[in-house]
Amino acid sequence: MKQAALSRILYVEDDPDIRELVTMSLQALGRFQVAACDSCAAALELVDEFSPELLLLDVMMPDIDGPATLKVLRERVSAAAVPAIFITAKVDAGDMARYREMGVLDVIVKPFDPMTLSGQIQHIWQRDRSVANDHSG
Amino acid sequence: MKKQKRHNLVYVAAWLLILAFFAWTANLLLNVQSDWAQSNEVTRIDRDVHGLLAPWRNLNRPGNDVLENYEVERQTRAFKRYLGEYAAARTALEAHRTAEVPMTEFYVGMDEIAATVETLASRVLQLAGAREGLRLSGAGLDSIRQAETEAATTMARMDQGFQVGMDLIVSMDERLDARLLELVASRRASIRSLYLILLVALLSSALSLVLLRRIATQGEALRSGAERINAIVNNVVDGIISVDEDGNIESFNRTAEQMFGCEDRQIVGHPFIDLIDPESLEQYKEITLGHDESEYLGRRLDTSEFPMELAATRIEVDGRPLLVYIVRDITERKHAEERLRLAASVFENTTEGILITDENGTIQSINPAFTAMTGFTAEEATGENPRILHSGEQSADFYKDMWESITTSGHWQGELNNRRKNGEIYPQWLNINAIKDARGRVTNYVGVTFDITELKASERLKDEFIATVSHELRTPLTSIHGSLRLLGGGVAGELSAESAKLVKIAANNSQRLVRLIDDILSIAKIEAEKMKFLLQPLAIDDVIGRAIEANQDFAQQYDVRLQAHAGIREARVLADNDRLMQVLTNLLSNAVKHSPAGGEVQVGVQRQNGYWRISVVDNGPGIPDSFRDKVFSRFAQADGTDRRKGGGTGLGLSICKAIIDRLGGRIGFESEAGVRTSFYFDLPVMQRQAMADVVVSG
Repeated sequence: MKQAALSRILYVEDDPDIRELVTMSLQALGRFQVAACDSCAAALELVDEFSPELLLLDVMMPDIDGPATLKVLRERVSAAAVPAIFITAKVDAGDMARYREMGVLDVIVKPFDPMTLSGQIQHIWQRDRSVANDHSG
Repeated sequence: MKKQKRHNLVYVAAWLLILAFFAWTANLLLNVQSDWAQSNEVTRIDRDVHGLLAPWRNLNRPGNDVLENYEVERQTRAFKRYLGEYAAARTALEAHRTAEVPMTEFYVGMDEIAATVETLASRVLQLAGAREGLRLSGAGLDSIRQAETEAATTMARMDQGFQVGMDLIVSMDERLDARLLELVASRRASIRSLYLILLVALLSSALSLVLLRRIATQGEALRSGAERINAIVNNVVDGIISVDEDGNIESFNRTAEQMFGCEDRQIVGHPFIDLIDPESLEQYKEITLGHDESEYLGRRLDTSEFPMELAATRIEVDGRPLLVYIVRDITERKHAEERLRLAASVFENTTEGILITDENGTIQSINPAFTAMTGFTAEEATGENPRILHSGEQSADFYKDMWESITTSGHWQGELNNRRKNGEIYPQWLNINAIKDARGRVTNYVGVTFDITELKASERLKDEFIATVSHELRTPLTSIHGSLRLLGGGVAGELSAESAKLVKIAANNSQRLVRLIDDILSIAKIEAEKMKFLLQPLAIDDVIGRAIEANQDFAQQYDVRLQAHAGIREARVLADNDRLMQVLTNLLSNAVKHSPAGGEVQVGVQRQNGYWRISVVDNGPGIPDSFRDKVFSRFAQADGTDRRKGGGTGLGLSICKAIIDRLGGRIGFESEAGVRTSFYFDLPVMQRQAMADVVVSG
């Protein structure tokens, strides 16, 4: 069965340069619709209207970090079941395990290659879809 | 040995005395026998003399005729002449007896008398023949008668003389008989004496034997006792020295010899105070006054000193006063006391808390540092169980494992959170060791502990610093590298050839900087043992697949294909996913960088002696011989062109080795120059049961 392609990504990143870089990469190379914002609060404003298929969250953000933002977003019906991927420069093994335990699909480590980022995200999302379909089917 | 010889001499002397006694007795017996023989001989002579005298007694009877009388007179005269000889012989005998001349001379005299008597008898027979001739001639009868008258006169005188001679003979007989009686009595007395002497000798011998036996037994006992006492005295651990009333050494046992480094013969007779350090002499003078036991400095023959304990006892031997010193070398005790003093000082002054319990875990003693750390005083803690410190933050299994380790290996160490008396919870490092007695039985447990609150805070700061550095470096690098990559990729529009080339240089170096930061942070974590490993069962095929996927783009840049060989589905290892990925990524990127364009890097798995071997193989130039022993060293690269070509940091393989070591595996390589190079690592095969346990416990 042909799987639906990933289309809408809600991206939260406090660093404007990286936010711009990733948005450009995802839009230009992945042809994704990207709603980018710099904080949990901004994401909450966007999430219902945007109805994302994937949450792409930076981990280390001031005030409310990525994991906390994920918790908050999950409380919204529009994002309750939306898979998420963390992007982080914090690569401690303990942190990585903790992130995975939160149910995220994967963790992408900074610095990443923006030229391959879209393919990497698409691959992770589809891998999750395959697993979900296997379980449901 | 001297005493033994002396004893043997006594034996010999005793037996010589006995032999002398028997010799004397035998000599006495011989003398008695000689007396006996002599007395028999005298008796025989006496009998013979009496036999010879008998005819003369008959001749003297009345009624004979003139001729006969004449002849008798003649014979009587001759007899009297010989009687004079006889009397002389008797006198000689008496003189011999009086002078106690040897009996043999007496016998010679008697033999002469006997010979004379025989001669006399022979002449009497001759006279008898002559008388017969005279009777036939008849001539000169008158003269004969005259002579007869004269003879009668003479006869009368002869009778008188004869009577005197007979009296003398009788007297001599009586005396001879008396002498014989004396000899017989003497012989009987000698025989009685002999019997008595023999009896006494037998009794004496028996008594002597008994006495000698007893003396020998007593001597043996005495010698054995003396040897035993000597053995004891020479083998006691203490020196024993006796000193006479002048203060001079009289005896010195073997231990004392060893203690003072001299021999008995060297020191006996010398003043005892020579053995005392001069500084201790005043003290020593006091001790000699009676019983005491004090410590002094002893002085050896070579003048070296040693601590000793001295006890003096005054005794009296054979009426002579003696001081007996018991000397004990207390060097070891002093050392032990010093060690104890040091240990006690450490116990009291160390900054580490020390807790001593009995074999049941009941607290027996704590040091001031422990009190400072926990708030419990020694009085409060003693008799309690260490459970008074439990914070409740450790599980029951934690303590179960702890005690299992202590009881099986006698040791446990680790970190745990405890609670102070004031309720505050604090982290501590604790090291527990079992103390065993000589029989290997646990008598105590000693816990050494210190508060690691500050250490933990410091570690947290360090972790935060590393995380911050990592984050703060990576964030701008992400922007730089990302932008360059997008520029180079034409996302922002096509670049001129020159611009694209410059952007590529910038992108490659930013990438290199990222790897350098990653590697340096990894090394820092490894060195600080802060690299965390989340061990979990991993399917090797899956890890390899993800590693190839993650490095595919990188390989494409070098026109190299990554190829995973058909793996083994059940291959599982216990490892940290991210660290294993880090190792594989490192090996793959190295293989890619050193592969020729259009080449292929193969990743395979095989089982080998209880390990899974994961190998990454390329067809590059291989590892030069001169570089083989430096492959896993830090900042090691085969040549400078590698760095320029691959942008490596020279840290990758050393990090790989550290990670594989931590996972209980081993890493290595096989290289054939220009043909094939294989970097591999082996990880223990994970058994199904172990895997199930991990899954359950996880």
